[in-house]
Amino acid sequence: MKKVEIGHGSGGKLTRELIEEVFLKHFNFPELHTLQDATYLPGFQKIAVTTDSYVVRPLFFPGGNIGKLSISGTVNDLTVSGALPHYITVGFIVEEGLPIETLERVVSSMAETALSAGVKIVAGDTKVVEKGKCDGIYINTAGVGRVVRELSPKLVKPGDKIIVTGFVGDHGIAISLAREEFEVETPVESDCAPLNSLLTPLFELPGLRFMRDPTRGGLATVLVELSESSNLGIRVYESEIPVRESVRFICDMLGYDPLYLANEGKAVVVVSEEDTGRALEILKSHPLGRDAAVIGEVVENPGVVLITSVGGERRLELLEEDPLPRIC
Amino acid sequence: MERVKELVELIHSLAPKDRKVKIMNVCGSHEHTIAYSGLRSLMPETVELVPGPGCPVCVCSESDVINAINLSKRPDVILCTYGDMLRVPTRVGSIRSNGGNYRMISAPHEVLKIARENPDKKVVFFSIGFETTTAPTAALLEMGVPENLFILTSQKLTPEIMEVLVKDSEVGVDAFVAPGHVSAIVGSNAWRVFPENYGIPTVVAGFEPENLLLAIVRILYQLREGKAELENVYRGVVKPEGNRKAQELMYKYFEKADVNWRGIGNIPKSGLEFRPEYSYLNAKVVFNLPEIKEEKIPGCICDRVVLGKAYPTDCKLYGTACTPRNPKGPCMVSLEGACNIWFRSGVKTA
Repeated sequence: MKKVEIGHGSGGKLTRELIEEVFLKHFNFPELHTLQDATYLPGFQKIAVTTDSYVVRPLFFPGGNIGKLSISGTVNDLTVSGALPHYITVGFIVEEGLPIETLERVVSSMAETALSAGVKIVAGDTKVVEKGKCDGIYINTAGVGRVVRELSPKLVKPGDKIIVTGFVGDHGIAISLAREEFEVETPVESDCAPLNSLLTPLFELPGLRFMRDPTRGGLATVLVELSESSNLGIRVYESEIPVRESVRFICDMLGYDPLYLANEGKAVVVVSEEDTGRALEILKSHPLGRDAAVIGEVVENPGVVLITSVGGERRLELLEEDPLPRIC
Repeated sequence: MERVKELVELIHSLAPKDRKVKIMNVCGSHEHTIAYSGLRSLMPETVELVPGPGCPVCVCSESDVINAINLSKRPDVILCTYGDMLRVPTRVGSIRSNGGNYRMISAPHEVLKIARENPDKKVVFFSIGFETTTAPTAALLEMGVPENLFILTSQKLTPEIMEVLVKDSEVGVDAFVAPGHVSAIVGSNAWRVFPENYGIPTVVAGFEPENLLLAIVRILYQLREGKAELENVYRGVVKPEGNRKAQELMYKYFEKADVNWRGIGNIPKSGLEFRPEYSYLNAKVVFNLPEIKEEKIPGCICDRVVLGKAYPTDCKLYGTACTPRNPKGPCMVSLEGACNIWFRSGVKTA
């Protein structure tokens, strides 16, 4: 079996082989194939730029892998900022001794995800570090998109509705189950997916105010941060928040709160009351938004209050510590 | 939801108008449900839901934790215990901060594998908890354990600490919600002493909010009628006699002993220690561990929180100097500790 050697990061012949046999083979984007130090790209008037690093453990988990995650996460960061994602760069830090086949599985999954999201991988870099100095593969990305709608917490008003585009907590639980050897009858898959095809149709709604993908820190963290940055309050109803029965069960068992668990294929959408019906219609017509639901509304008094399923009130605050490190 | 609404309405109609009623739970999972479902916000002003000694991590004596730390620093020992215990603070830090040789486990049987894989080490299982964790530890011993496995016990008994509480006039408990999981082992009859000897209504409850609300309804009904009875609203799981097999196993290896509760002191017959014939398993005997006098944590009122004499927010360290990330007292460490539950469920400083 071929493995990644330190020489693969040398910049010499082995590096060239790795680039051709693994990266270019899968990343079939003409812009990238010039193999220059920088790529020339046509630009836009206003661009959105994002960068993110991925260090998830394990590299492969039900529903995805570090490669799919890196492209999805970058696409989603651009999309929830009101931009159409166009270009992505990828930087790999690879551990010596990693089977080339493993790297290739990750790379091909990235290519597949990029194609399905309609984004191009246009620049890349690889470094190899000694065995034990990293956990298989780390990936850094940058993403560039064309801004269509400028969204901001400052646009949010009392009376606006809060929508979540589907079940929350799946990614966090999938990672947790992939790490531990729990015997669970109904396995939970990560929701990891690029959301641009689901969310960009919302850009046409005049009442669209704000979007965010609830990754680390989960739904609760997004709501608390929105409350803080808009200086308004949020009331959400526990009984309206979509949580899979299996996720709820595992959360009870492990002591997690699904509202704080990471998602990699969900968005929180704030929309005016008038446009709520239309927004739901758009979301539900897409396979990734079938389970979208209005979970609450924006109110005057700052702070986030959860109305529990029995009608009690509980304040949601920022978590001090991530219940699960290295999830994305 | 309809049913919940009815129960809440019943609670409001049954609650006394002229005096406060203090209902104590003695189980971390009950307190979790109360905090996370916001049940306190649904109670009438006169009904107070008080967390009692429901967290085994919080009451584990400082002496036992320091002994565990010292064992973990021996080159010939691997110390195994539950995740929460690794972070419990003492005057010499925590097991984790001391950086010795320790392993986190999530269930007792995991120590067998660790002992078998490390035949050249002495593996010590720091076994703490109430009846719910003692029974699996006894079951583990019954399976037969490798010669290099020893147990450092800090096992506590729930009915015994509750008896201390009812005798303490400062606590002033009007009724108990008895813990469903512990009851499944010891049986609901174990709580009979409270209504019969002390006139305190006691209702065994499960962990769904609706089941807890039902227990509160039954308690308020008893109080209004001037009755004190033992009731069980968790009948599917809890039997009057409990789990006989588990009890037999527990008392085959262990016997009641006077043990120290952190911040509270020595309580006669409130814990379990190895019977003398099993001393060869007992880490306290094998390693000749001393009993270390407890030192109070400055400013910490965990002892009063555990006994239901104070709420977490009464502590001036709560949420400022003491948080789940940087806990000063044991109640902020454990997921079952009242301070930790309150903090995570969004209760800010008073």
